[in-house]
Amino acid sequence: MAGSADLHEPGFALHVEDLTVRYGSSIALWDIDLDVPPGRLVAIVGPNGSGKSTLLKSVMGLLRPVAGHIRIFGEPISRARSRVAYVHQRAEVDWDFPATVLEVVTMGLYRRIGWLRPVRKAHRQAALEALAEVGMEAFATRQIGQLSGGQQQRVFIARALIQQADLVLLDEPLAGVDAVSEDIILSLLRSLRDRGKSVVVVHHDLSTVRRRFDWMVLLNRRLIAQGEMRDVYTPANLKAAYGGQMAVFDAADADDPARSGRVGGQV
Amino acid sequence: MPMLVDLLGSQIVRTVMLGAALVGAVSGMVGVFAVLRRQSLLSDTISHAALPGVCLGFLLAGERDLTTIMLVALLTAMAAALSVLAIGRLTPLKTDAQLGIVLSVYFAVGVVLLSHIQAQGGGARAGITTFLFGQAAALSAQDLWVLGGVFAVATLFFVVLWKEIKLATFDPIAAAALGLPVRALELGLTVLLALTIVAGIQLVGVVLMVAVLIAPAVAARQWIGNLGAMTILAMGIGGLVGAGGALLSATGRGLATGPIVVLLASAVVLVSILAAPRRGVVWQALSAQLQRWRISGDRVLLAMDRLAAAHHDPDYPSEKGMLDTMLGRPLPGVMRRLEGQGLVRPVVHDPESSPHWVLTPAGRRRAEALRRTGHGPD
Amino acid sequence: MLAALFDSIPAMIVLTGVLVGAAAALPGVFLVLRGNAMLTDAISHSIVFGVIMVWLLTRELSGPVQLIGAGLTGVLTVALTEALTRTGLVKTDAAIGLVFSMLFATGILLIGIFARQVHLHADTILLGEIGFVWMRTTPVLGVAVPVSMVMLGVVLVLNLVFVVLFWKELKLATFDPALAAALGLAPAALHYTLLTLTSVTAVAAFDAVGPVLFIAFVIVPPATALLMTRRLALIVPLAAALSTIACVSGYFLAVHWNVAIGGMMATMTGVLFVMVLSMRALKRQLQHRRPVPGNPAPWP
Repeated sequence: MAGSADLHEPGFALHVEDLTVRYGSSIALWDIDLDVPPGRLVAIVGPNGSGKSTLLKSVMGLLRPVAGHIRIFGEPISRARSRVAYVHQRAEVDWDFPATVLEVVTMGLYRRIGWLRPVRKAHRQAALEALAEVGMEAFATRQIGQLSGGQQQRVFIARALIQQADLVLLDEPLAGVDAVSEDIILSLLRSLRDRGKSVVVVHHDLSTVRRRFDWMVLLNRRLIAQGEMRDVYTPANLKAAYGGQMAVFDAADADDPARSGRVGGQV
Repeated sequence: MPMLVDLLGSQIVRTVMLGAALVGAVSGMVGVFAVLRRQSLLSDTISHAALPGVCLGFLLAGERDLTTIMLVALLTAMAAALSVLAIGRLTPLKTDAQLGIVLSVYFAVGVVLLSHIQAQGGGARAGITTFLFGQAAALSAQDLWVLGGVFAVATLFFVVLWKEIKLATFDPIAAAALGLPVRALELGLTVLLALTIVAGIQLVGVVLMVAVLIAPAVAARQWIGNLGAMTILAMGIGGLVGAGGALLSATGRGLATGPIVVLLASAVVLVSILAAPRRGVVWQALSAQLQRWRISGDRVLLAMDRLAAAHHDPDYPSEKGMLDTMLGRPLPGVMRRLEGQGLVRPVVHDPESSPHWVLTPAGRRRAEALRRTGHGPD
Repeated sequence: MLAALFDSIPAMIVLTGVLVGAAAALPGVFLVLRGNAMLTDAISHSIVFGVIMVWLLTRELSGPVQLIGAGLTGVLTVALTEALTRTGLVKTDAAIGLVFSMLFATGILLIGIFARQVHLHADTILLGEIGFVWMRTTPVLGVAVPVSMVMLGVVLVLNLVFVVLFWKELKLATFDPALAAALGLAPAALHYTLLTLTSVTAVAAFDAVGPVLFIAFVIVPPATALLMTRRLALIVPLAAALSTIACVSGYFLAVHWNVAIGGMMATMTGVLFVMVLSMRALKRQLQHRRPVPGNPAPWP
C-alpha cells in the first residue's frame, strides 16, 4: 500500500512537471508544468493542435511521454486509476456498436467490478441513477447509435459520473452538442465542483470560457498561462496562445526540423 | 551451369520466362497504385474471387483455354469488387468484414466448382488445380499474346491518363474539384487491377497473387520518391522476379511457381526495407548514430543552460528525454565525457527514475561563455 | 447410442462443421466488431507455415503440439506485421499482405520439398477434407472419435471459457479501447489473446476446411448475426446457429451435387448472409415508404 511518504505534491488534484510528449519528430507538448488545485472547474484552452487532448491522454497514461512526470492527488496514474474518470472525444468510438445505453454507462464500473466477475443488478441500478442525473433514464434500453450527438455525450458523462471519481477529465464535451444537453452537462459539471471534485475540461470556445469556468490553463504546446480565470484571461495571454507561431527554441537551432518550423503537429 | 544454358536455350523455358516477366511487369505497374490507394487487401479479395471465374471459364470452354478462363474470371473478380461496394453501401459492417465476407464466400463457391470439375475426372483434373498455386510450365505460346495484350492495355491506360491518375490517387477531392471524373478513373483502375490479377493467376495462383502485386511496389517505393520512376522500377522488379521465379520453378522438380516468385519478391522487399538509401532501416540507424557522434558537448551545455534559464533555476535537473528532444539523440558517451570534464553531474530527480543531469559551476561558466561569444555550437 | 452417433459418417461430418462454426464464431464476433476481420485472412494463411514447421520438427499433424505451434505462428504473423508497419516504410494493409504471403509461400514450398510422399499435399492443405475427417480417430472414453472433432471440441471449450470469463472486458476493449486502457483493463493483452485463440482455432479446423474456408466461418456468420440483432449477447449464439444451418444444408447439397462438402458449407454461410441482407434491405425499403407517425411528409 502507498504510504503517505510516497506521495508527491498531494495537495494538488493534478500535478504535472516537465511533461514533454513527442510524436515521432514532432513535439506535441514541451516542458509543461501544471498544478490544478482541488475543487475547481478548469478549462484547458488553446488553438487546434496545441496538445490539449495529448495532455489528457498523458494524464491517463495512454501515451508515453519522453520526459516529466504526472501525479494525481500525489499518486502516479497506476495507483490513482480509481480516483480519476476520463471522457474522451465522442468520435473516438464506433457508435454502431451493438450495445445499449445502460450497458455503456455500466462500462464505467468494469474496473471496480473486477476481472472474472459479472455485471450485477446493483451495478445496473447505479447506472440507471447516473443516467437519471443526465436526464437520459428514459433511453436506458436504446441502442447507442439511435442517440443524437448531445445525448451520446450525456451518456458518456453518466459513464464518468458512475465512477465517482475525485478528478474528472473531459475532452471537448460541449463540441457539437445541442443547447439542452449543453445546459445539463454544464450544471452537472458545476455540481461536481460544488461537491469538491476537480473537473478539467478541454474547451474549444474562447467566447464562452470565461463565464463557464473558474480556472484556466492556456496551452499551445507550451504552457502559456495557468491560474484563476480573471488572472489568466487577459489579452496578452490569449495573444500569446493564439497569435503567431510559438518559438520554443532560438534561431541557432533552425537547422534541425524537429526544432524549427515543424515543431509539433496536429494532435 | 551448362544445365542453365540448356534451359535458356529451350523454347518452352523462354516462353514461360517471357510470360512470367510480362505478368510481373504489369503487376508492378498496377500494384503501385493498389498500394498507394491502400487496396492491398482488396487485391487479395479480388484474386481469391477469381477462382469461381476460372472454374466457370473452364466449364464453358471445356478445356484449358486461357482467353475464356480469363474473361470469365475477370467477370467474377469485378463482381467481387462490386459486392464489396454493395455490402458497404447496404450494411454498417466495417471494411475488413466486407472484404472477408466476399473473399471467403467467392472462394468457397470456387472450391465447390473446382470439386465439380474434378469429379468429372479426365485430363481436366490436373489442369485446374494449378490455378491455386500457379504453374508457369503450363503457359503456351498463344498465351503470350494474351499476356502481351494485357501489358499493352495497362501501359496505354497509364500513359494516356498519367497525370489524371496521379492526382486522383494522391488527392481525389482536389481531382474532383478540378472536374476530373474521379469515379470513372477509380473504376478504370479497379478493372485494370482485376485484369492484372486474372492475367497473373495462371502463373502465381489465386492465393499468392496479392504478393506479386504489392511487393514490387513496396520495394520500389523504398528507393525512389518519384511516382513515375517508382512505377518503372516496380515494373522492372516485377519482371525480373517473375522471370527468375519461372526459371527456378522450371529447374526445381516441378515446384509450384507462385511460392517461388513470392519468396523472391519478399526477399527484394526485405533488402529494400533494410538497405535503401535515406529510408532504409540500416541507413536510418547509421545516420542516427552519426548524428549522435556529431553532437558536441558545447551544444549539450547550451541546451541545459537554456532549460535552466527557462525554469529560473540554475540547478535545474535536465531530463534525458528533454535533451533528446532538443538535440536529436545524445549519446550517453557525450554525457559521460562532460561528466569526466566536471561540467555536468548526474542527479536523481524525485519522483522520477529516469536519468537527469545538472550543470556544475564549471559547466555553467562554460555555457555562459559560449552564450556571450554568441557563436553557437557546430 | 453415443457410439452409434460416432459410427454415422454423415453425422460425423456435419458435427465437425458445426464445431468449426461454433469455435470460429466466438473470436469472430469481436474481430468483426473491432474492424480487423482481415487479420483472420493473414493468420489462417500463415498457419500453413506453422503446421508444416511443426510437422517437420515432430512429425505430428495434430494434437497439442500443433495447437501450440499455431498459437506461436499467429503471434509471429501479427508481430511481423506490426514490426513492418512500425518502420513507417509500409502501410498496414500492405504489411499484412506481404507477411502472410511470405509465410504461406514458405509453407507451400516446404511441403513441396519435404512432404511429397506422405499424404500432405498442397491442395489438401489449402482446401481441407471434411469428408474424410472420420477416418482418423482416437479413443475417447472407449468411443472412437475423429481426431479433428476432439481438437475442435477442446478449442471450442477454450474459446468459450475465454469469452465467458472476460465477456465484459472484451466488450469494453472492443467498443472503447481508450476507456479500457484508462480503467487499466489491458485491452492490448486481450486483443493478442483473441488473435492467438483465432490461430489455435484455425489449426484445429485445418483438416476439415483448410485456411481459406475457415475465414468464412470466422467472419460471415458473426457479420450476418450482426445484421439481425443489436444485442451483443445474442450475436454469438445466433452466429453459431447460422453456422449450423449452413453446415447441415451445405452437407446435403454437397452430397446431392457430388461437390466439395467444406466448400458447400462455406458457400451456404454466404447464401444466408445474402438472404439476411436482402430481407434487411426490403424491410428498410418498406419502412421508407411508410410515413413516420407524427412526422408529416415534407411535401404537399
